[in-house]
Amino acid sequence: MHFTPVPPSYRFFLTLILCGLLSVRHGYAGGLPASQANPGNTVPGSSTREQALDYLLKTKIPDSSIYWPDIHRDLFIANLKANIIAPLALYQGTNTNFCGYAALSYLPLHEDPLGYTRFMLTLYSEGKAAWGAAHFNPSPAVRLAAGTLRFKGILDIRPADQLWFLVLADHFRSYLNFFTRHFHPGAENTFWAAVNYGKFNRMIRELFGYRVQAKGSDLIRPDIPDLYDYLTQSLHTGLTYLYVNNTYLHKKNHNKFKGHFPTHFIVLDAIRRIPDQQDMVDIVYWDYGGRTLRQVSMKFLKKITFGVTVCIKQSSPTGPTPHS
Amino acid sequence: MNYPNTYRLLLIAILASAASCTSLNITNYYHKHHSTLDGMEQVYLNAYNTKPFSIEFTDRPFDHVSLELSTDSLTYIYEFAVGEPRLQDTLLKYGYNPAPINNLIKNMRSMECTWINHLDYYADETRHSLIYISLWPKTFDLPFVNKKYYILTYFSQPQYFDADGDLMTGRRLRRIRKINGETFRKINDKVCYTISAQFR
Repeated sequence: MHFTPVPPSYRFFLTLILCGLLSVRHGYAGGLPASQANPGNTVPGSSTREQALDYLLKTKIPDSSIYWPDIHRDLFIANLKANIIAPLALYQGTNTNFCGYAALSYLPLHEDPLGYTRFMLTLYSEGKAAWGAAHFNPSPAVRLAAGTLRFKGILDIRPADQLWFLVLADHFRSYLNFFTRHFHPGAENTFWAAVNYGKFNRMIRELFGYRVQAKGSDLIRPDIPDLYDYLTQSLHTGLTYLYVNNTYLHKKNHNKFKGHFPTHFIVLDAIRRIPDQQDMVDIVYWDYGGRTLRQVSMKFLKKITFGVTVCIKQSSPTGPTPHS
Repeated sequence: MNYPNTYRLLLIAILASAASCTSLNITNYYHKHHSTLDGMEQVYLNAYNTKPFSIEFTDRPFDHVSLELSTDSLTYIYEFAVGEPRLQDTLLKYGYNPAPINNLIKNMRSMECTWINHLDYYADETRHSLIYISLWPKTFDLPFVNKKYYILTYFSQPQYFDADGDLMTGRRLRRIRKINGETFRKINDKVCYTISAQFR
């Protein structure tokens, strides 16, 4: 038998992928201990919409920011206000890979809108900010891009969301960034903006200080014998994210051959069996700026689910740390 | 392996025929069926303005239809066999008038239309909307080949185009407008088309 030697660059890339997969499997068995879950000793913040709106109203915001030349102040403020009042309407943008960051935003917008507002205003005014264990110092390319993304639906007129997604993608990296390390125009639609499972869980831990109970990986489905029971329990335990294969959930073509890997994060809101239908369930989930109720079979749900992440809140709330 | 010349000729003829099928002229297609297509757009627009929804045919025989019914707090997605009584019950339950939706389902089947939807787009920070219709003609359903769709977009007002007929953002700002990640071309002032690998 003849084996073709593998070039060193491919070997390196293969090693990176395996590293990525192994790192995800690390959190596979029932979640990480609390000490690992909080590398920066961050504890989840807790605040109300009223506090956030009050802060937004009372904070002096400069007419323009030298750090964000294409962000218009009035649109920026209107965007923050809209996110605080109607957090479910947050939209990742058409044809972008921002779904991981949009799903992630569900947590601060619902649990700590004041922390979110403070962070965003600091970032706007000072060009850098810190949240939890993460210190953000956005690259010049991202600073120039925020506010200029177009043809993305309502994201076109949401400069604060553009800034938030771009800054997160710029800061957090994974093996998916091997070929796309830096932002370039159009990178929001590429692997540069993609979020793999390990990175998603890491972001929640580092930013918001939640204990993350994760089961799943980027390629292999989790071995959960009774998925319905597991998801029901998860919903009682904390905010539950599903990492799913979106080519089946939100079908965009009728091709017979589809990728068998996860591509999308959704927030699971509810799951309930449909009376008189053995295998069918109603699932209620959030993505693309709204909640959806859909009837699916458990077989289908099992087929598309590659990860279940439960975010468990810990005590002693504090907010994000404004950059000093 | 050596094939006789007649087999080679036959193979070439089959391949040429398959290739020619996929390059149907969408403009001709639109002009041929414009009364039905424009009618569908009008029925959909009126019904959507009463209560928002989208319709998707999920299979090639056009026997199964998925409805996305949007309320203030939740979008309901249900799949039905065409003609199933449960479909009518569901429409009534969520306060939809079944007549226009049944009419659309019938016409979508006859036109091999797989998706009809309402899309928002933004120009100069102002929201505009269009009707997005995806057609899946049989000629695009070759085995072992990724599916292709004709997409028609109906705008509510005349659009700007460059000399090649590509849809532009505006009269002054000469930039190609993309919708759903695709570049569109002119059929008439308000109707554009593209060929896409995705129906939505």
